[in-house]
Amino acid sequence: MATTTTQTKMQKGSTQPADAQQKIEAFRALFADAPELGKKALENVIAELKSQVSEPRAKVESAGRVGARLGQRSELTMIVPLAPGGAKRLRAFLKMLDGNLSGGADKVGTLHDMRFVFIDNDTRMLFATSFDGDWDVYIDDFVTKIPDFLDVIDSAWEGWPGIRSPQAKDYLVKHQITAEGWYVANPDLTVAEITRLKRIGKAVDEFLDKVGD
Amino acid sequence: MASTIPIPSKPNQDSVVEQKIRRLRELYADAPELGKVALEQGLPDLKKRELAAATGAKNAGRIGARQGKVSELTGIFPFAKGGAKRLHGLLQLLEGNFQGADAVGTVHDMRFVFLDNDTKLLFATAYDGEWDAYIDDFATKIPNAMDLLFCNAEGWPGIRSPKVKDWIVEHQVAAEAWYVANDLTVAETRRLKRMGQAVEEFLDQIG
Repeated sequence: MATTTTQTKMQKGSTQPADAQQKIEAFRALFADAPELGKKALENVIAELKSQVSEPRAKVESAGRVGARLGQRSELTMIVPLAPGGAKRLRAFLKMLDGNLSGGADKVGTLHDMRFVFIDNDTRMLFATSFDGDWDVYIDDFVTKIPDFLDVIDSAWEGWPGIRSPQAKDYLVKHQITAEGWYVANPDLTVAEITRLKRIGKAVDEFLDKVGD
Repeated sequence: MASTIPIPSKPNQDSVVEQKIRRLRELYADAPELGKVALEQGLPDLKKRELAAATGAKNAGRIGARQGKVSELTGIFPFAKGGAKRLHGLLQLLEGNFQGADAVGTVHDMRFVFLDNDTKLLFATAYDGEWDAYIDDFATKIPNAMDLLFCNAEGWPGIRSPKVKDWIVEHQVAAEAWYVANDLTVAETRRLKRMGQAVEEFLDQIG
């Protein structure tokens, strides 16, 4: 499988209108052989697309060694081959926890969401997360905070060297595939910031209750 | 003889947990050494969690996992002929940031990943609530953008087609485990952001 780690390099600054027009035209040409409904959809949104291309907006950058990042938020997407018996063990582990990994994952502190998906008749696993900041720091968070849980899970992966191994990061990079498109509704909020806002929200509600009494 | 109504005995929590742990140990008997060691080291914490694990991941409706208010959709779609090239072009044009999704209002995050030498597209999102309502949101709020994106997948019937939901289900793979750090909808998160700003302005004023 392709393990391309193409970085989505983005130049800074807004695109000039003439430049935007040129880009749109090039793109329209690319859609000349699209299915009819695709071409029609393009014509319907062309004005909107043009304004999106012209306006300055948040750029997708690299999350560091690998992966895409928008604002504070990065993505990690991996597809790993499963070792013999690995799918069975991992399924049993996840089932025992009712598919809920909060106990361990909350400790990482920089993790927004995370999914485990078995694909290709249980021969491969898709692991996808959304996290705060830089790739290296994120992996280090896992290593220092929940190394054993990680190894219980990742020992199902073919060739996994162990999270404490100096080769662990290279293994992850080798199987990670950088997203070409990455959208986040609130890219400026870290897990810590959301937790802080929740506390403020609660305090404000209590305050308003008291004022209302 | 009076028939006795069987009273369902409340299973002993501890023994249920012990049983599960025993099964897991058996399963991990043929795991690599580091997996076995990790299991033993993680067990005390695991037991504690197992007892507290009343809120498991739930179903998002027709397909997909859900935890609290947030659900996941993970799909792998084969590209139509020329589809990978077109989608590359589209995402490049948007500089990787598909901001049009703001209009949907229930999308937390969303990624497009090209797999297996550009023959397949992995699309994975986190969103609020029910699967059906989510797909409906896309269909009503950004139908053209949906067609623009997914006409590049093999067999896409069109967002306005009555077959579109079946088509998505066919390519979706439900996650076996799903974790979400904060049980907040997109709307709630935005409200908290506004509140945080207001509080800061308020404190500035009285300071």
